[in-house]
Amino acid sequence: MRIVTMDPASCVACRNCEYACAFQQGRTFERRDSHIRVSFYPEDRVCIPGTCLHCEQPWCQEVCPAAAIRRDPVTGAVVIDAERCAGCKMCLLACPYGAIRFDSRARVARKCDLCGGDPQCVKFCISGALEFVEAEEAFAFRREGFDARLKELVSQARGGRR
Amino acid sequence: MSPRQVFQTLCRMCDDHCALNVYLEEGRVVDIDGYQGHPWNRGRLCSKGRAAVDLVYHPDRLWKPLKRTASGWQEIPLEQALDEIAERLRAIQQRYGERAVGVWKGEAVGFAQQEDLARRFIHAIGSPNYFSNDSLCFNGRWIGYSTVHGAWSVPDYEHARLVVLWGANPPHAHPNMTQMIMRARRRGARLVVLDPRLSAVARQADVHAPLAPGTDGALAWGLIQALLERGAYDRELVEGYSVGFPQLRAYAAAFTPQRVERETGVPAATLSRIAAAMAEASPAVVNYVGNGLEHHENGINNIRAVACLDALLGALDRKGGNRLAEGFPSNRLTLYRERPLTALSPIGAERFPVLYGMRRECHTMTAMDTILSGRPYPLKAMLLTAANPAMTNPNTEKVTRALGALELFVVRDLFLTETARLAHYVLPAASFLERSELHVHAMFQVVTLSRKLLSFPGVQDEYRFWHDLAHRLGAGAYFPWKDEEELTRWLLEPSGLSLERLAEHPEGWPYQPIRYEKWREQPLATPTGKVEFASRYLKDLGYPEIPEYRPPAYRSAPDPEYPFVLVTGARKLLFYHSRYQNIERFARAGRNPEMEMHPDDAARLGLADGEPVRVSSRVGTIQLPVTVTASNEILPGTVQITHGYRQANVNLLTPDDVFDPISGFPLLKALQVKVARADSAAAPG
Repeated sequence: MRIVTMDPASCVACRNCEYACAFQQGRTFERRDSHIRVSFYPEDRVCIPGTCLHCEQPWCQEVCPAAAIRRDPVTGAVVIDAERCAGCKMCLLACPYGAIRFDSRARVARKCDLCGGDPQCVKFCISGALEFVEAEEAFAFRREGFDARLKELVSQARGGRR
Repeated sequence: MSPRQVFQTLCRMCDDHCALNVYLEEGRVVDIDGYQGHPWNRGRLCSKGRAAVDLVYHPDRLWKPLKRTASGWQEIPLEQALDEIAERLRAIQQRYGERAVGVWKGEAVGFAQQEDLARRFIHAIGSPNYFSNDSLCFNGRWIGYSTVHGAWSVPDYEHARLVVLWGANPPHAHPNMTQMIMRARRRGARLVVLDPRLSAVARQADVHAPLAPGTDGALAWGLIQALLERGAYDRELVEGYSVGFPQLRAYAAAFTPQRVERETGVPAATLSRIAAAMAEASPAVVNYVGNGLEHHENGINNIRAVACLDALLGALDRKGGNRLAEGFPSNRLTLYRERPLTALSPIGAERFPVLYGMRRECHTMTAMDTILSGRPYPLKAMLLTAANPAMTNPNTEKVTRALGALELFVVRDLFLTETARLAHYVLPAASFLERSELHVHAMFQVVTLSRKLLSFPGVQDEYRFWHDLAHRLGAGAYFPWKDEEELTRWLLEPSGLSLERLAEHPEGWPYQPIRYEKWREQPLATPTGKVEFASRYLKDLGYPEIPEYRPPAYRSAPDPEYPFVLVTGARKLLFYHSRYQNIERFARAGRNPEMEMHPDDAARLGLADGEPVRVSSRVGTIQLPVTVTASNEILPGTVQITHGYRQANVNLLTPDDVFDPISGFPLLKALQVKVARADSAAAPG
């Protein structure tokens, strides 16, 4: 199963992911159409991309009275069936990450569906903060980064040129 | 449903050349995304790339040649347009001489072979007057670096341990560099961003040092001094492969941290922290200079001072530093050996001998004066392709007047731009999806052939246009290739690569393995073959031998009438200079245009976010909404306006008579202006 990982230490809040998602969803560049949101806090210089984490035990799914939320067997994405959605907004309330939004034009809840297995946010992420990887490989770069630093220290300790 | 086909090519919505998948249905482009196989962008793409779909099929796109008549634009057949243009050019050549004709190549067709075709054409018809967007972009850095290193070295981000960005904001200007910098950070590299604004990339900086606009040279000298004091410089490189070190050392001594702090606003402790990080990470230190340093009165010497740092740190052509890229071996299109034409006094060559001498670039700002005055000789015709100087050159009012005064002005573009509206003939140009050309990614030493995916009747690619005009003007011998493909085959000859072979490799062809420390085996391309901390070439032309620091005029001679410092030209993600504003969903994403201002300044003027302001310089006035930033997003006293907006064109404020003395680049990033709340009833500037 592949997941979208989000690294706040690489995100520059350029909003390409929001534009790509909004374009996929509504052919617009309007933030309200995007399932991924990047928050930028200038005084703290912090960028936080946020989208659905496709929880193993999705509270949104558990709470949905219309049984409109299910897991896609192919992509593993937690998806909303807009035909079944009653628009009650319980899922918005249940999601601890605020990753579900209400589409007030169609009057249904909407969320990330991993674009059917080809997430546009990742393809248009220019910083590499978003990655679409096998869950087992998630954040492997942290290990690689640690290795690189350790390698350098070991090599220095051996008297090698860094 | 018709089958969807996918083809790989390279993007030219900006100068990053990212690899694309272009999806076609029934010969029509329906979508674009990034191609994973190319080492440059690894499948990632910015939003501009995909917008090529909108651009190609834009309802305002020109499909037929337009001729200006007394009763407005008239559509005429292409052959008639070319015949009439050729006839009028001949008449101008006969009456005023060949040099009365110029070409102007814009950013939108790119560089390399498209640039060289324009250069070839103008020399083929006997005039040395080649102009381009490079009178105010790129060349400043190329000259600054080349006088020190012999080339503009390329950042080796992938192996860097410290990345220092000087006036550069890759996420908006060179989007694809962002992932390289972030990959380096993930491996432990640190990031320092020097910029008066908290740019997008500065959001992730380990150190963001907002410095006063135009004072980068003082900071660079402060760092040079700090490194010399610590003895933290590469003795092998400095002693064996440089000239001018004693002069450098002597001049640096005055740049104490306290003086640098007074000059730049960067605290002494921050300077010391950056110097320590440089010493610790050397030689794997990338110093990348952006466009932010070019548009200043002391721009080139500020850039040269940064380039000196590379050599001191031993980062020059070392792994993780600034690498001397090796070029792709191809045939040369320009005619500077065969027909130099220097005796014909290329415009600007006397005034800015370095710009012409090193780059064979005539000076567009001088061209405006030449057109209007007829001195030193008449400049009466201009063939302009893919440029929009009526928006992007300084002093729009004069540019408009000058281009409007030409006897013959021909513009090639996809749209009827502000510049095209001044023309006598406007010809429909091909987009990048309608031509095929060679692209070199010097950072990876890879060459890639882009693919012609579309063609529209009556829309010529660049080669076909120059070819057809040259043949009408008796210069056909210089354009013997029957089409673009034949031309590219000829260009490829020295490389031993065939067109077919290259076409099979959308992931690019590595033409030369990457090597480091080449200065050990071969001399640098400077006059002495060494790193030149001091330049005899510049000294002989009357410039300072070493990259001396001069404070910007707003600091050394402030005009109390204009208390704010205006920086222009910060990049926006969705626009490229004056382009893509006609893509509706781009224009609607965010506040466009805007003037960025510090909250304390806004409070003092009683301005709330979004309110209209009037901004005036000694050149002109414009009106636009203010964006009140967070307190760390721009320096107090500094305001920023991005160029290219027709609703509020900042070049109505910029002067075209204050230049960097070496490059001739105009002052665009430290202007003295005043700001006042706009009376909402007042006419827009």
